[in-house]
Amino acid sequence: MKKTSILLLLMIVGLTLTPWLQSCTDLNEVVYDQVSTADFGNTPKEIASLVSPIYNSLKTARGWNFTHLGEESADMMVVPTRKGGDWWDGGQHMYTKQHTWTNNNTPLITGAYSDIQSSITTCNRILKMVQDKTGVPNKDRTIAEIRAVRAFWYYMYVDYFGQGPLVTDYADTSLPTPKSRVEIYNFVLSELIAVKDLLRADVTGDSYGKMTKGAAYSILAKMYLNAQVWNPAGGAQWQKCLDACNVVIGLPYVLEADWKKSFQVKNEDSKEIILPAIFSGVLGGNFLANATLHYLDALALGLNIGPWNGMSADPNYVKSYDPADKRLNWSFLRGPMLDPVKGTVIITAHGRPLIHTDDITMYEATTNWGWCNQEDGARCYKWEIPKGLSSDMENDFAIFRLADIYLMKAECLVRIAGGPTADATDLVNAIRKRAFSPEKPIAAAALEDIRLERRYEMAWEQYARQDNIRFGTFLNAVPGWRGVSDPKHLLFPIPKDAMDVNNKLVQNPGY
Amino acid sequence: MKRFQTDEIRNYPVFMGIRKVYLALMFLMIGTSMVFAQTTITGTVKDKSGDPIPGATVVVTNTSNGTITDMSGKYTLKVSSGTTLTFSFIGMKPITETINNRTVINAVLSEDVVTLSEVVAIGYGTQTKREISGSVANVSAKDFNKGVISNAADLLQGKVAGLNITKGSGDVTSGATIRLRGTSSLNGSSAPFVVIDGVPGGDLNSVAPQDIESISVLKDASSAAIYGSRSASGVILITTKKGTKSAPVISYEGYVGIDNVTNKPKLLNGDQWRAYAKANNKDITGMDLGANTDWFGEIMRTGVTQNHSLSYSGGGDHNNYMASLSYIDMQGVVKANSMSRVNMRFSINQKTFDDRLLLTLTANEVMGDNSPTDNENFILAYNTIPVVPVKLADGTWYDNTDFDQGNPVRNITYNKRENRENKFYGNIKADYEILKGLNVTANAFKERNTNDWGLYNNSTTQEGRNAQGYAQRQSSLWDRSMFEYTLRYKKTYKEVHNITALAGYSWEQNDYRYFGAQNQQFRTDLLGFDNLQSGENLKPADVYSQRNMSKLISSFGRFTYNYLEKYVFAATVRRDGSSKFGANHKWGTFPSFSGAWNISKERFMSSYTFIDDLKLRVGYGITGNQDGIGPYNSIDLYGQQGKYYDGGQWYTTYGPTQNSNPNLKWEKTAMLNYGIDFSLFKNRVSGTVEYYNKKTSDLLYTYNVPTPPYSYGTILANVGSMSNKGLELLLNIIPVKTRDLTWTININMAHNKNLVTSLSNSEFQMTAVKVGSAFIRGGSNTTTHILEVGHDVGTFFGYECTGLDKNGKYVFTDINKDGVINDKDMTYIGSPQPKLTYSMNNTVNWKQWDLSVFFRGVYGNKVLNYSRMSFATTQWLMGGNVLVEALTSGLTDSPIYSSYYIENGSFIRLENANLGYTFKKESMKWIKNLRVYVSGQNLFKITKYKGLDPEVDMSGLTPGVEGRDYYPKSRTIMMGVNISF
Repeated sequence: MKKTSILLLLMIVGLTLTPWLQSCTDLNEVVYDQVSTADFGNTPKEIASLVSPIYNSLKTARGWNFTHLGEESADMMVVPTRKGGDWWDGGQHMYTKQHTWTNNNTPLITGAYSDIQSSITTCNRILKMVQDKTGVPNKDRTIAEIRAVRAFWYYMYVDYFGQGPLVTDYADTSLPTPKSRVEIYNFVLSELIAVKDLLRADVTGDSYGKMTKGAAYSILAKMYLNAQVWNPAGGAQWQKCLDACNVVIGLPYVLEADWKKSFQVKNEDSKEIILPAIFSGVLGGNFLANATLHYLDALALGLNIGPWNGMSADPNYVKSYDPADKRLNWSFLRGPMLDPVKGTVIITAHGRPLIHTDDITMYEATTNWGWCNQEDGARCYKWEIPKGLSSDMENDFAIFRLADIYLMKAECLVRIAGGPTADATDLVNAIRKRAFSPEKPIAAAALEDIRLERRYEMAWEQYARQDNIRFGTFLNAVPGWRGVSDPKHLLFPIPKDAMDVNNKLVQNPGY
Repeated sequence: MKRFQTDEIRNYPVFMGIRKVYLALMFLMIGTSMVFAQTTITGTVKDKSGDPIPGATVVVTNTSNGTITDMSGKYTLKVSSGTTLTFSFIGMKPITETINNRTVINAVLSEDVVTLSEVVAIGYGTQTKREISGSVANVSAKDFNKGVISNAADLLQGKVAGLNITKGSGDVTSGATIRLRGTSSLNGSSAPFVVIDGVPGGDLNSVAPQDIESISVLKDASSAAIYGSRSASGVILITTKKGTKSAPVISYEGYVGIDNVTNKPKLLNGDQWRAYAKANNKDITGMDLGANTDWFGEIMRTGVTQNHSLSYSGGGDHNNYMASLSYIDMQGVVKANSMSRVNMRFSINQKTFDDRLLLTLTANEVMGDNSPTDNENFILAYNTIPVVPVKLADGTWYDNTDFDQGNPVRNITYNKRENRENKFYGNIKADYEILKGLNVTANAFKERNTNDWGLYNNSTTQEGRNAQGYAQRQSSLWDRSMFEYTLRYKKTYKEVHNITALAGYSWEQNDYRYFGAQNQQFRTDLLGFDNLQSGENLKPADVYSQRNMSKLISSFGRFTYNYLEKYVFAATVRRDGSSKFGANHKWGTFPSFSGAWNISKERFMSSYTFIDDLKLRVGYGITGNQDGIGPYNSIDLYGQQGKYYDGGQWYTTYGPTQNSNPNLKWEKTAMLNYGIDFSLFKNRVSGTVEYYNKKTSDLLYTYNVPTPPYSYGTILANVGSMSNKGLELLLNIIPVKTRDLTWTININMAHNKNLVTSLSNSEFQMTAVKVGSAFIRGGSNTTTHILEVGHDVGTFFGYECTGLDKNGKYVFTDINKDGVINDKDMTYIGSPQPKLTYSMNNTVNWKQWDLSVFFRGVYGNKVLNYSRMSFATTQWLMGGNVLVEALTSGLTDSPIYSSYYIENGSFIRLENANLGYTFKKESMKWIKNLRVYVSGQNLFKITKYKGLDPEVDMSGLTPGVEGRDYYPKSRTIMMGVNISF
């Protein structure tokens, strides 16, 4: 009996155990829905998809944080708290407008900082991967493109935050120590100068969206244009800026006769655009229609979205336009919004007629800046909002376009000459030609004319802050919103979150 | 011819006579002894109060010659040998009577007051209560909750001190948050680990509540550590009903109930809205359509719940079986919200090979259909003004395209949300007794769960109008296989030393796959989600699939020793290896020790006769929690990251999806537990007092890291630590116990103090992080809670408001006295963790009647009332509706998150009252048991909380919030019957 029972025991154990003896202690993970980094990136197709994130990073350069910070901290845009509490959002828009931000009360600033840092890290990571790989098609040009995109992000960093970490080697895992604004400024210049001629110079459907020669020279032009602000000790660099602008103008870019071509839904055909942030409605990222329109504007405009009633233009900015300037109504959505069926003005939930007034009237400003009616404020209408829109916008956002280069060249010419010049005036009038019919050219374009022309032409395009700082008007009082601002606000603070994880970082002065 | 001599002739008959007598005597003796061996003994078995006990066992001691008493407690037994009879009955002390030539032997059985001999399931085995040295709470079927029971968690609510089961939503498809002894994880689940019939990793929903025999909760680490890296939040062991060695029994249980909502938000009605407009000279032209609509009432209904269960069990000497079928159908009090489920279960035990081999085969199948509610409709019901009708005079639906506005009834009528799930598992176990006291068991288990989901938003409704019709389908499949081998040894040496030993090995693999697709812009709504291909706006991100796997390999052992059941000692150890752990920590070891002293068995305690049992115990163990780690968290991976544009086309972008962490491992919990179990006055008073100290370390959390040098801004790492300390009390009192009337009181109380003790180590630092989101308009980036060292999880953090000033503006305390109110003035404004959770159950049995009343309560917690924050303000009038409080509070400020909205959440709830009648057994021929009852669930609550219900979702890092999309709770009145043949 004992023998039988032991035999039986062995049978049971054996039968069940045998198939599993090999895997008794095997804990290897088998990955199914992602790929291990060792297994991917070996064919040109795979490499192209691994390099592509550098271009997707450009979307954040025209994403939520920068779209608001660039214009709201200046005098172009405001996101007021609406009746009922919409857009109070912890006060961040008030802090941005009134220049009362700190290192941890404005998520826009914290977000902008991490947008830049993660984009730079992506560039470094991809640069190292490409450098170490064999069989990369057009390897030199690819490396040049990556370096130029990285240089673009450091240009953004110099503009917004000034000093900070300068990391170029992905393999270096030590906590970065900060470099001064001038050091980063010089780094950007050296990078661009090294790669600018390795990039493609064509202006075709194939080059659209890539880091091209024109794009690299445009960044260079911006660097030299703002040299006095970013590297004061080095002095003004107007001539170098002028030279860079001339290279761009010499390339096949065209000042499109139809101004709207650069802002329409399918604007990839515009040869005026030098470097776009490419958006697709299905993938999302261009939220402008949702951010700016009133909830019931969708009804008036025949859209299938539920907008959020946020971004509005600063009243004085809108009022500064010449009423004959076509760009006034091309850039802003103003006036009464009509029900397409009944033809009457739509009434809002608060029983008021939906009229986008230029003025924004704030009530009960006590501990915070109060509130305004839902419908106040001219809205962003520059990028075409097509009927039937049911997702994010398809329109690409031009980071650099030829009109901007024209005005930069005009500014340089006037600054070098110390007063208006014929060439500068021609450039300004070329821009104005599209905006007025009948035409209204300027007789002689002085620096002030160019400053104003930039404002009329570049509304919403995130240059208000950079231009105001350069022209010395950024710290001036903004009527209706704030008084004179402290010079520390010329730079944003390094966010507290960033300094908490890296104690080597140094805060900007005054914060 | 010999002629008999006369005296020979004279002697023959005598001789013959003597022979006859001898023979006769012999026969007589044999006869008598046979008659003596065949003695028929009769008698009656009664209990102490004189009532007959039917079904009591009368058996010749240590033989199988026995019988059972009849309905009047009488028995008849033919006894041929043996000197004693043993009388026994469940719950009674057995009595042995010597036969002593008696033919009538009666017996009086008394209650077995020794409750500590009850057998309780512990990990990988059973022990008697007396032998247990850890903290194990056992709830058996007779003590389960009555009322609306949809899964095993409902059976346990309020029965185990320290086990808190919170249903944060009245949605019948939503589950409950289960916590044992406080929250002990930031990232992962703090829910107890579930083991069903010895198979670890089960789901409370997969076994029908009617099939459950008993539930053991392993509360401390010394009892739970045998389950290693998954047991840090305690273990719930479910034992299902098995067949019994008796004639077949068929049982039916069923109930039908009516549900109604307990309370709806107090919004303005049409007249109040109009009165406000008139009193404040508001222009309402075009807004007032002359109706008086109660929007919450329009989306609600009376729900009907029914539950039926049929089971069939029986068995003989060598086998037994149990089969059951149950069906539950619950309708939520919000229209279109429903849940129905069919459970089928079959289990057979078979003994063979001279009863040394026990084979158990179990199959369990669950099929469920449910329809969850769309919470957006609550927001719409709050906002939409009461002066518009659900349908206009011409029969078309009223609707509104403004923000947060729309017709919720239209949403519910046309939109669909359907979930269909199927869970099947099969289990075969072979238990073989190699030698007396040495058993080996092989256990094989396979489970497959599938889930199918469909959603459609009709293009005319608020949910679907932007997409012009939106359809979604998703499907998931989860396979689990487990093999387990254990060796068990049990021996008593010298009649006083009792030893058991256990050694085991377990292997488990999980495979999960999932895919989904959605589409929008449909030309017709008639197809619903059944024809995704006809949508006209398919985006690349609309099609997706996933797959992952994980493995767990373990070895474990236990050793127990007790001396005369007086001194008890136990030690366990488990070694777990998980494929999810990082390369540097693939294996973990989880030991535990515990000891107990049954003081009542000591001689010096014998003079205290009022003490039946008194046991002191202490236990220490280390358990783990691996729930916060997903598969592949510890390795470098590329995943799809959107698309990029190249020459007119869009292509897939690949990039890193996480920072790998080779040091990733389980969260470790070490717990020290002290307990006293007592039973006094012949079990009239019994209970347990416990104190525990639980320290969790290596807490998983996502930390920010600088992006140069990391490629990703965050990393999942084991860093922080947390502590939970508490006191639990369980008390059972039987104040009245007479022949006809019994009154039993059960009281449970628990206090737990949770504290985050560290969030940093040498590599990652963090002192505080603000979490949560004030989900009201304009409230984004306003956080509500804080996770900080020195405070409990879920502490509210915001402005302290002392009230409103005469202008109706908030008065905030200037904490740092700098004259300005800004984010530097935010402070700690309360905690949602309760100071005390308690419950009390009163059961009265009088003759055939039984009444039980069950109260449950919570004290000392705070709740954030978002609904009040969002809607108790006149800001939204006239275009949006508001709560009546907006008119009386005097508030004129835009709502700002502050302590003004943090309310006292203490409550006491009459959870269930149940009145039943059990028919007398004599009055029914072939019915063994019949009980009918009436029951009420959630009959009333007492609370100061002004919102809908203070019992809200308590999971995660932001517990204790009643959102503005809260599903109100309901009250159920039901009738039911239990019958067995």
